[in-house]
Amino acid sequence: MSEFENQGQDLLDLQEFDEEALKKESEELLEMRFLTGENAEFTRTPGGFIALKTGDKEYARVGVYLTFPLTNPEEFISIRETDEKAKEIGLIESMDKFPREQQEMLREQIKLRYFMPVITKILDVKDEYGYAYWNVVTTFGACRFTTQLSGDVVIHLSDSRLLVTDIDGNRYEIPDFYQLGVMERKKLDLFI
Amino acid sequence: MRSTNEQMQGFISEKQKGQRLMKLLYKLNQEQTNALALGEGEEICYCVPADLSFDSRKMQAREAYTGKIWLVVTQERLAVLEENGLAASYPLAECEKIKCEHQVHNGILTVTKKDGSVICAARFSMRHIVRAAYLARGAQSFISAEAAGGSPERVVSMEYEKYCEKCGRALPGTRKCLYCEGKMEALRKFMTLCGGYVGKLLLISLLMVLTAAANLLVPLVQRNFIDGALADGSGTWGDLGIFAGITLSLVVLRILISVYRYWQCVSLGASLSMSLRRKLYYKIQSLSLSFINNRKPGELLNRVSRDTNQIRGFMEEVFGDMLSALLTMIVSLIVMFLISWKMTLMSFVFIIIVFALTKACRHHIHNIYHKQWLKSDELADNLQDVISGMRVVKSFGKEEREAERFCRKANEFAAISRKNETFWAVFFPTLTFLLGAGNYIAVYFGGMDVLNGHMTLGQLVQFITYCGYLFGPLDWMTHLPRMVMQMVTSLNRIYDVLDEEPSIADTQDSRSFPIRGAFTFEKVSFGYHTYEPVLENISFEVKPGEMIGLVGASGAGKSTLINLIMRLYDVDQGRIILDGVDLRNVKSESLHSQIGVVLQETFLFSGSILANIRFARQDASLAEVIQAAKAANAHDFICKTPDGYNTYVGEHGYNLSGGERQRIAIARAILNNPRLLILDEATSALDTESEFLIQQALNRLVEGRTTFAIAHRLSTLRNADRLVVIDRHGVAEIGTHNELLEKKGIYYGLVTAQLKMAEGA
Repeated sequence: MSEFENQGQDLLDLQEFDEEALKKESEELLEMRFLTGENAEFTRTPGGFIALKTGDKEYARVGVYLTFPLTNPEEFISIRETDEKAKEIGLIESMDKFPREQQEMLREQIKLRYFMPVITKILDVKDEYGYAYWNVVTTFGACRFTTQLSGDVVIHLSDSRLLVTDIDGNRYEIPDFYQLGVMERKKLDLFI
Repeated sequence: MRSTNEQMQGFISEKQKGQRLMKLLYKLNQEQTNALALGEGEEICYCVPADLSFDSRKMQAREAYTGKIWLVVTQERLAVLEENGLAASYPLAECEKIKCEHQVHNGILTVTKKDGSVICAARFSMRHIVRAAYLARGAQSFISAEAAGGSPERVVSMEYEKYCEKCGRALPGTRKCLYCEGKMEALRKFMTLCGGYVGKLLLISLLMVLTAAANLLVPLVQRNFIDGALADGSGTWGDLGIFAGITLSLVVLRILISVYRYWQCVSLGASLSMSLRRKLYYKIQSLSLSFINNRKPGELLNRVSRDTNQIRGFMEEVFGDMLSALLTMIVSLIVMFLISWKMTLMSFVFIIIVFALTKACRHHIHNIYHKQWLKSDELADNLQDVISGMRVVKSFGKEEREAERFCRKANEFAAISRKNETFWAVFFPTLTFLLGAGNYIAVYFGGMDVLNGHMTLGQLVQFITYCGYLFGPLDWMTHLPRMVMQMVTSLNRIYDVLDEEPSIADTQDSRSFPIRGAFTFEKVSFGYHTYEPVLENISFEVKPGEMIGLVGASGAGKSTLINLIMRLYDVDQGRIILDGVDLRNVKSESLHSQIGVVLQETFLFSGSILANIRFARQDASLAEVIQAAKAANAHDFICKTPDGYNTYVGEHGYNLSGGERQRIAIARAILNNPRLLILDEATSALDTESEFLIQQALNRLVEGRTTFAIAHRLSTLRNADRLVVIDRHGVAEIGTHNELLEKKGIYYGLVTAQLKMAEGA
């Protein structure tokens, strides 16, 4: 008896009361709904976001979430509502299922949501009493930031791909460590 | 309607004024201020920088924006300044909501107009997100005040700045910058602290001078003996005996003094760090949870243990040697000069070379060992991962792959260690040779002088020995600045906590009174983080003696509401009134002594069951303890344990089940005979039968006391007078069980869902 009660506890969070509705919701959760140029249309809003029309539903603003932001940024993009629950409206299997203009809109939204400068040149890394001060050039231009010296400042995504996190919580990518010059690599010695 | 900054300042309480707040009002230059074209009586209330362009098509360099994009809130509008010009302006009268939305590694400021359209007004990296969130809250308070007709609340932030405003260096979790102002102040405070140990300090200084003197005397005696007795062969066995005696006694004396001095230093360091630790401990106890939650777990622990240890280490290892080493070096140098200035200069040049060399090498050595350390860390992590996840690894049959991965890591580590050891094996003898080379030079040139008769043999020996004194502490000297700096950093971190004023503190007007239990929530808003409010605009009333059931999805804010009632945190906006008194004006000791709490995660202290139950009231009689345990249905299982009420629980003690722990916690709450009872999932870990029994006991207990109870199992709340359903940061429904069922809203849904689940069983 108590075992079932515990299950009940977990499911309570769904806030749905009708068994039918519950079942429907759980099915909706499982269903893979793919959005394509045929069944969905994105449009720009004056406020700088995008609106979506799919089937008989219209959304004044939708969120664009990458499901594999680090490995497959152009595939399986989750389109979600913008309220607290952020319910999924559908998945975009790949960008090319949409006309070029709408792809452009989606990429803009992705740029708006994700901020990850790529470090193209390391000018200087200076360590001073527990903090490292970086001076780099990124795809967003020149940038100075500060990191801790220890811990998980530099994460290895693969042997050559690195992610750097600064003390504010910004992230910077070094796509290929070995593409950097010898002197630049030496500056990273402390972290690798 | 218009309220000036001065008026709003009144909202900042007295104790906040003295403290450094996060900067939310930056100064604009003249051109920027002009661009704003402020209306009459319009003032800049909040002004913070942003560093990203929100229009993704013209996204530009981040640094290029520094000081160029500003978000400004006045009483009348939200404005975005770009490149000294006004980029956008949103009159607050047209806005419904202004919000800082957390994106991935950046944030945006959204403006929801009254017509429902949403506009992205600005974008910023994580560096500015906290400030922007406060700005949004400030703007929102103007909008809400306009709507409700009240006066706007002044938004202040107690959060720490991450960078020093003057020099741009990162602050090590302190409010003051070490470089700009903290260093001297921390040292000054340290001196005051040392003030209590003046006698000991004087004694240590005297001992240091004595050590130096003994050190310096030995070569002098040697010289006199060599020149007076050995050089011309006139010495006798007696002279030799006297020389040996004096040298031996000097050496023995020096050793004795050193031992005594070290002993004194250790005792000074220990008592200093102990007194700091005790102060820290008391301070942390008195600080509010929000101060503690603002920090990473373990950081405060580190301040208590590691930073105080750092100071002890400094007193023991550095301070004790500092004066005597410096004294020895200076006197040696002077005597060397007197013997031969030429040779002294020569050695001096050499010392500088070696000094530079060791410093350069140290950097390299630090690097290679840091690398080795990182690898060994990685290896240990990997091992821990696999061992703690052994069941998963085995059940998926991935032993082979994991073993390979570990092997590869182990090989990498071995390779680095091998390389480092090889380097060390070559480097260390070289360094020793170089350090010794000064002696060879002195022997060569000095030897020539002796042969030429410019110098006596004794003088040469004396010179060489002093030369050694000069080279010896060189290595140590290169460490010195770093060690001093580390000590000052630790001191600063310690004083940062000691200087913190508890944000939840009793004031002079704080009252203590017997609680009746009438609560009024007035537009209460609260969030642990700036950018995510947990509760917004909560208002409801509770009559004395009422039992209120709090219902809602996980993470809706039920436990947060309870934290506010217990005043573990102060509300951000609005107020909670208890029996007609603002909760902030109730003496916290008086409040807490009248609250009984059973929390979701039952924490028992290491100690006996008896001590745990008695935690709230140390003087409770044994009969009372048993009475409380019986009421909590704990008496029976306690009797069955081998040591009864004396059973030791805690980390290495008797293993209690979750339900048993909960029952002890309930007994602890009951014993206090509280006026106010808070039950946060108090019976969640119990089986249905025990829960029923405890419910019976609690029913008796709850009578006449105001009770707040949270439960997922709604049957637990069937005795509640009223239920408050919390959803989406606010009160969604409120009423009795029947009222809410009739309403067919969220509560109705929860009840039927649970019934359906039970049926399914």
